Amino acid sequence: MNHKKINKKDLGNLLHQWSKDYTIFVPSNEGDTAQMGLWDGSDTGFLDWYRNTAKPPKANFLPPVEEMFRFQKGKEGHSIKLPSQEHQQLIFGIRPCDGRSLAILDNIFTDAYQDPYYLPRREGAVLVGLGCLKPYDTCFCTSLGISPGESNDVDLMLTDTGDEFLIEEISDKGKQLMELTAGLEDATEDDTARASEAKGKAHDKVTRKIDTQHLSHKLLSTFEDETYWEKVAAKCIACGICTFLCPTCHCFDISDEMVKKEGARFRCWDSCAFPLYTKMPMENPREEKWQRVRQKVCHKFEFYPMAFDVIACTGCGRCIRLCPVNWDICQTLGQLPG
Amino acid sequence: MTASNRSRFLAQGNVYLPHIMVIEKIIDETPGVRTFHFNFKDEKLRDEFSFESGQFGEYSVFGVGEATFCISSSPTRRDHLEFTLQRVGKVTNALHRLGVGAEIGFRGPYGNSFPLDLLQGKNLVFVGGGIGLAPLRSLIWNVLDNRDKYNDIHIIYGARSPADLCFKYDLDAWGNNETVNMVTTVDRGDESWKGREGFVPQVLEQVAPSAENAIAIVCGPPIMIRFTFPVLEKLGFRPEQMVTTLEKRMKCGIGKCGRCNIGNIYVCRDGPVFTYAQIKSFISSEY
Repeated sequence: MNHKKINKKDLGNLLHQWSKDYTIFVPSNEGDTAQMGLWDGSDTGFLDWYRNTAKPPKANFLPPVEEMFRFQKGKEGHSIKLPSQEHQQLIFGIRPCDGRSLAILDNIFTDAYQDPYYLPRREGAVLVGLGCLKPYDTCFCTSLGISPGESNDVDLMLTDTGDEFLIEEISDKGKQLMELTAGLEDATEDDTARASEAKGKAHDKVTRKIDTQHLSHKLLSTFEDETYWEKVAAKCIACGICTFLCPTCHCFDISDEMVKKEGARFRCWDSCAFPLYTKMPMENPREEKWQRVRQKVCHKFEFYPMAFDVIACTGCGRCIRLCPVNWDICQTLGQLPG
Repeated sequence: MTASNRSRFLAQGNVYLPHIMVIEKIIDETPGVRTFHFNFKDEKLRDEFSFESGQFGEYSVFGVGEATFCISSSPTRRDHLEFTLQRVGKVTNALHRLGVGAEIGFRGPYGNSFPLDLLQGKNLVFVGGGIGLAPLRSLIWNVLDNRDKYNDIHIIYGARSPADLCFKYDLDAWGNNETVNMVTTVDRGDESWKGREGFVPQVLEQVAPSAENAIAIVCGPPIMIRFTFPVLEKLGFRPEQMVTTLEKRMKCGIGKCGRCNIGNIYVCRDGPVFTYAQIKSFISSEY
């Protein structure tokens, strides 16, 4: 296949071109609040610092807080108004792990009932992947069948070859976008070879591993082992940050706000780390912290695979890297008895 | 046990958008429990809507929030819908403050339903406690409105005290129905109470309905359910002859928000009706 390429200093022009049809999101807010944020129309300085965002791109599809609809109480009773349609997003620079996370999330949002907020955003969005050539030491994506330099979950895939990016068309949507994109050069065989080499090197840089082969069996046989889960949960402070920053966690709450006669129904991220999440008037099935830690681990590595045949983890390492007490999912999985 | 009408009614558009409903009547069941009769504001929807006994909905007071309750009326009585709730939290308190004519939001029906095909031709033993009679009474009226399809019927219902008995008008109707063996009990009676005293599981053991060709349907507080299953086993009921509904905290009602997940089960999506055999096979005992 003929690949294209673009000089890095022309990236601004490329994004500008795409911004006529899409709202462009790029890595923004260097540091612990990095996320896929609205592009300011000129800055491509993120290329200097970007490894991955702290807040995963799920936030662009399942926002931390979103208005589901507004309601108003008038003389004739209540009326409901849906929010207006959003612009189509183009997310530039999404990493292969995060591309996969969206494919994983698609399962839950299409299961039984179609989610009317997440799915239109997904269908309208273009994902432009950027190979991850400097993975963190907390990354273990290769254990989940992901290679940091490659992705089939995005529409276009870019690889850093030095002064240029190699551009590969992955999906039909990506192909269509390329046909409408001007000013790209054809890549040479030499460019493709350099990209392949970079991808291979990136793959080898992921040294952290988990063994997924017997995981299901081990989790089942350890499920009732309260001692193990208490030990695992001991240092967890139940802050929930691992679930908020997990690219596949999707739990949400629904609540209302109202001022005078107008209000809105919202949904916002929620977390199984909190006892209130499952609390009922008379009892709580997951009152204890160890039960909630067990739920998080088993939901990702046991229950989600039972439902959708895919582990709800991409090995992005955010839950390890950004945990305030250095809780480590790899350790928890690696030390499972049985 | 699937809800055949699940997607039909709601596939049209945004699943989270509530229908506007109007409260038509309010019945005080006990000091903290009320039953609301309600109906679609849009009269067209009254005929389009259908549900099955055991299904639930998400009810909302606009500006306060949503809460989950079963539909406590029977699908055989289509004049209006009913739900019954105890005043315990923010939404239930707000609902209790509403009067006749007030508007609420409703979306549903969600979840599976009681297995009518399994119940037909069987002897039925209904075991209920407190407000747990709400889902059960939908089924009981459903069965009584098609009485010839079912065999012997036992109803064993109890509450903490005479004042805590819900649906007293139904208890009277069932008590006066010659085709029903009705037993009402309270944990502790008062001076005017002339009926039976004792916890539901104990009374069930005394009444001892036969397990032969029978299905027991049990709804009540978790503690009652936990003590009732062993009694039924003692009476010869096999786990697949015992049916119950599970109650979990829910928000979306459609298998997405995550909180009713126990093991690989989502109570909203896979339940809320389960046989005891299914429950015993759950990975997790968090039910």
